Amino acid sequence: MTAADAASAVAATDGSSGAPAEASVSPFTMVTGAPGAMVCEGDVCFVPGAGADAE
Amino acid sequence: MSTPIKIDIWSDIACPWCYIGKRHFEAGVAALGDDAPEIEVEYHSFELAPDTPVDFQGSEIDFLAKHKGMPAERVQQMLQHVTGVAANAGLDYDFDALQHTKTLKAHELLHFAKSEGRQLELAERLFRAYFTEGRHVGRVDDLVALAADAGLDADAAREALESGRFAAAVQADIAQAGAYGINGVPFFVIDGKYGVSGAQPAEVFGQVLTQVAGERDGAVA
Repeated sequence: MTAADAASAVAATDGSSGAPAEASVSPFTMVTGAPGAMVCEGDVCFVPGAGADAE
Repeated sequence: MSTPIKIDIWSDIACPWCYIGKRHFEAGVAALGDDAPEIEVEYHSFELAPDTPVDFQGSEIDFLAKHKGMPAERVQQMLQHVTGVAANAGLDYDFDALQHTKTLKAHELLHFAKSEGRQLELAERLFRAYFTEGRHVGRVDDLVALAADAGLDADAAREALESGRFAAAVQADIAQAGAYGINGVPFFVIDGKYGVSGAQPAEVFGQVLTQVAGERDGAVA
């Protein structure tokens, strides 16, 4: 990811409209960031909205 | 003198992308150089797998393949992938040596360390111990040794763990995450306003910090 990509990726979305599913009730303005950034839930890690990965 | 930008991070010691995200965040701050705003970082507890036994017998592959029923070959591929990404972040993950365990006590120790002003040192020590050194981070004796490595008093750390007096603080963090709709980690809250989910690239963290600093400057002007 280039710095320019990152800059555009920081365009924020309001947590109440169009934010990732895990932030649907978030009080925060969600930074969209890079689409491939991984998160972990339970024993499984994944790209939100894409396929599962693991620890 | 302005108030530092608060960075609240929900993470788990057993979360491979949390350690990678930590490195990316640190790199994002470092890349700002002299323009980096003053920040204050606080770690919050998030227990990814509460059902994990403290003394799980077996490797990480065993845990995911046998305990969780995932195909072993797929697990191998996934661990290779995360190991590669970690290496790019300067982290030498060793899943063959990793000792899978319950992290509840490690979280209690992080709260104790916060009360002693050494939470960041302990967070780094615990992540390194777990992912790169194959150290056990679920048992009191092991945690006390790691606490001492991080500059904490060993006897005080043992008392904190054995008394369980930080257990409520851990549960409060977990409950707060639920109230915020945080289901996955790492999750960064910047200045109590912006949410950043996942192990984002360093550039993203640098950009949002610059944005927050700019907003503050604009508010002052």
